[in-house]
Amino acid sequence: MVSAIPLPLRIAAWVFVAFCALLLIGPLIVVVGVSLSESRFIAFPPDGLSLRWYAQVLSSDAYLAAGWLSLQLAVLVTVSATILGGAAAIAIHRRRLPASEAMATYFLSPLVLPTIIYALGMLMLWSAFVGPVSLLTLWIAHSVIAVPYVVRTTLAVLADSDPFLEEAAATMGAGRVQRLWLVLLPQCLPGLAAGAFFAFNLSFDEAVVSLFLRRPGLTTLPVHIYNQLEFSPDPAVAAVSTIMIGLTVFLILVIDRLVGVQKVASN
Amino acid sequence: MTRSLLLSFSAILAAGTAANAQTITINSFGGAYEEAHRKCIIEPFEQATGASVQIVTAYSADGFAQLRAQREAPQFDVIHFSGGQEIIAAQEGLLVPIDPASLSNAGDLVAAARPNLEGGEGPAYSIVAMGLLYNSDVIETTPTNWSDLTNPEWHENLVLTDISNTYGMQGFLMLNQVAGGDLSNIQPGLDLVGQMLDGGAIVVSTSPEIMQEFAQNDAWIAPYSSDYAFVLQDAGLPIGFVQGAEGTPGVYITANLVAGRDNEELSLQLIDRSISPEAQVCFAEEMSYAPTNVRAELTGEVAENTPFGEEALSGLIRFDPQTVEAERSNWVDAWNRTIAR
Amino acid sequence: MTDRRENLILVAPGLLLLAVAFFWPIGQMLMLAFEGPDGPTLDHFRRFLGDEFYLTVLWRTVRLSLLITLICLLIGFPLAYIMARVGPRARLWLIIMLILPLMTSVVVRTFGWMVVLSRSGLIPSTLRDMGLVGRSYAIMHSELAIVIGMVQVLLPFMALSILGVLLRLDIRLEEAARTMGCSFLSSMRSVVLPLSAPGILAGSLLVFTLSASSFVTPNLLGGPRVQVLAASIYRQVTQTLDWNFAAAQAVILFAGVALVLIPYIMLMRRPAHG
Repeated sequence: MVSAIPLPLRIAAWVFVAFCALLLIGPLIVVVGVSLSESRFIAFPPDGLSLRWYAQVLSSDAYLAAGWLSLQLAVLVTVSATILGGAAAIAIHRRRLPASEAMATYFLSPLVLPTIIYALGMLMLWSAFVGPVSLLTLWIAHSVIAVPYVVRTTLAVLADSDPFLEEAAATMGAGRVQRLWLVLLPQCLPGLAAGAFFAFNLSFDEAVVSLFLRRPGLTTLPVHIYNQLEFSPDPAVAAVSTIMIGLTVFLILVIDRLVGVQKVASN
Repeated sequence: MTRSLLLSFSAILAAGTAANAQTITINSFGGAYEEAHRKCIIEPFEQATGASVQIVTAYSADGFAQLRAQREAPQFDVIHFSGGQEIIAAQEGLLVPIDPASLSNAGDLVAAARPNLEGGEGPAYSIVAMGLLYNSDVIETTPTNWSDLTNPEWHENLVLTDISNTYGMQGFLMLNQVAGGDLSNIQPGLDLVGQMLDGGAIVVSTSPEIMQEFAQNDAWIAPYSSDYAFVLQDAGLPIGFVQGAEGTPGVYITANLVAGRDNEELSLQLIDRSISPEAQVCFAEEMSYAPTNVRAELTGEVAENTPFGEEALSGLIRFDPQTVEAERSNWVDAWNRTIAR
Repeated sequence: MTDRRENLILVAPGLLLLAVAFFWPIGQMLMLAFEGPDGPTLDHFRRFLGDEFYLTVLWRTVRLSLLITLICLLIGFPLAYIMARVGPRARLWLIIMLILPLMTSVVVRTFGWMVVLSRSGLIPSTLRDMGLVGRSYAIMHSELAIVIGMVQVLLPFMALSILGVLLRLDIRLEEAARTMGCSFLSSMRSVVLPLSAPGILAGSLLVFTLSASSFVTPNLLGGPRVQVLAASIYRQVTQTLDWNFAAAQAVILFAGVALVLIPYIMLMRRPAHG
């Protein structure tokens, strides 16, 4: 730390950080706590400790179906977003396309637009031209939202990579496909992988678009949780939520290993 | 390898895309009710027919609004109402007339539960009594009248329910009646509610909330229904339920056949199951709902807990659903203004 | 095959996806907002702007978003500064602390607040035990609840935005100011704040936009009686099924947000100040 900062200010700083930590992480801890509650009523701190709600969730058709749908969807989205986003990032990075700058903005635009506006538009377009929403609709919509993340992380990694490697390979006679596969792909792999995990997390946790593009039978896990929160909140909801938090923590650790959370954060 | 990948891909999409021909969509009321609903009717139905049931949680008023809005392309096959909405829905052509012969259990229903099957009003499969829920540890002398709620000592620990919920509406209309008003004038009721709020009463909107209030937040008394009193007792809380001397509003929960859908036969089977003796006994055991099928035999404790038998049904108060529905949005506005703080 | 061709092939699928599945839907929605039974109309907009209830909703959305942005700034700036000045290890943990709520599902986060802010929740019952409020006090279903919930969600955006700029700030500038006799606070005021202005501005615009267009958190924490614009749109779409009206509201939201976003986009494209 800059040494000229007076001690009382430093203490105040750490107290402040503790407060921020409470604000940011507190609600998540509360959710975990509620999930361990014995009684059927929501209470924090929990009355009694029990894992019964986890058992209930893991044997509930409704939760399992929603979880399964979310999982399938997330996998599909990860694949599509990574392929499309990664390819686009490579193309943009090379800067041999006209208006690379504009292209980058184009691909990052879903990040800037409020999701609700997009969700509404997607629902209307689909209903008008195709019909009732389906898994395909969700897949497409989630992919659209996930692609910018993949593009961003891949571009970030590529920005630090050695541009001459590809040239060197070309000089030595590597064909186009070889260059892509053997040089560029390994170069951006960490970024690509991080983007993939982001995409997975995004799709699995996504609530806004999924709330608009839903139908009985097409309920993702976050949407099911939302329903429960409206009419029947109970510790079972907390149990599912805790599982989801665990998944997110795991993904963050993986992304950090791959690319370093710092790099992602400062973009 | 690519070909089989492609095939499995399309299979996944198709599975997600195509609506299963053997699926029907219904509404239910969330929380403990929905659990009982699943256990007593939906799961046995799914097992018996092999069909699957999609449940959308929607209270009667919202469900009705959706039904009206979706007139051209309804999403529900069977819709459940607790506030008498079926009467107006049938008139508006949103529900399909039911031939009593198509329901094997229709003949065993009490007359009050099937006033107008041919007109489209589905049969009632549960009847709930409205009354006073109270914490018997705190309130030692059992309350007897609805007007006991005007006791200012209790207002700080009184829980009212928003009228967007059928139970809230029924409770409010009864309070209104006790305060001297009627369906054409709800001001006395609103004034009474205002007094209660000034005295510290709170307003909740859903059944889980009211249970939470009694379980954790020192609620002493509330105008509410017999079913949730039972659930709370079952959870080990010292809750008593009593029907007010001035009268007992009855809530008739009906299962209705929605017009404009392809699954009439399956839907009728679901409705039939709702009024079957087995389902009714199950519901009585789960949440002490009064059965409407005379062949449903309740035994022992369950029989004692059920608020009334056949004869008492005729004594139940029924606030005219037509008026209630017609006035609903005005009343909701007035109510919101009264409780706004 | 030329370089250009190759790159075009790489970029084409993504381009197509966004064109068809992002820009076109937005266009469709814009169209629906102006669609009436007899052709293009402004009726839906008139209906919105002429109804007191909806104007209240709009005003509430703007008001709360401004408040949320301000609070995020007041908390986010000091937090970002601290994060910029600590060692890399500590910074990593702080970044994770920021990212974790960001990456959990919004319904999960909001649930946590529902528990804490409800009548029997931790905060109201503590306040009650301290005798500060009456028995029926609950923070849930109020504007305060919405603000608290949204600040948690949006604080990371603000903090990370400012952090980005602060990290690029040469620490020697601050030290120079200090050597020349400035106190900590005044070096803050005359050196750090002006130079981090772009980050502050960018963060504020982002937070404002996101809070104006949020609906899950406000819907759950505010309840049916405390509606914001996005929540109103959701209700129109799912309950009254009045899609044209919902689209009109979305356009109004879009217009408001675009007004804020355009300066943001322009800011982002400028090279960072050293």
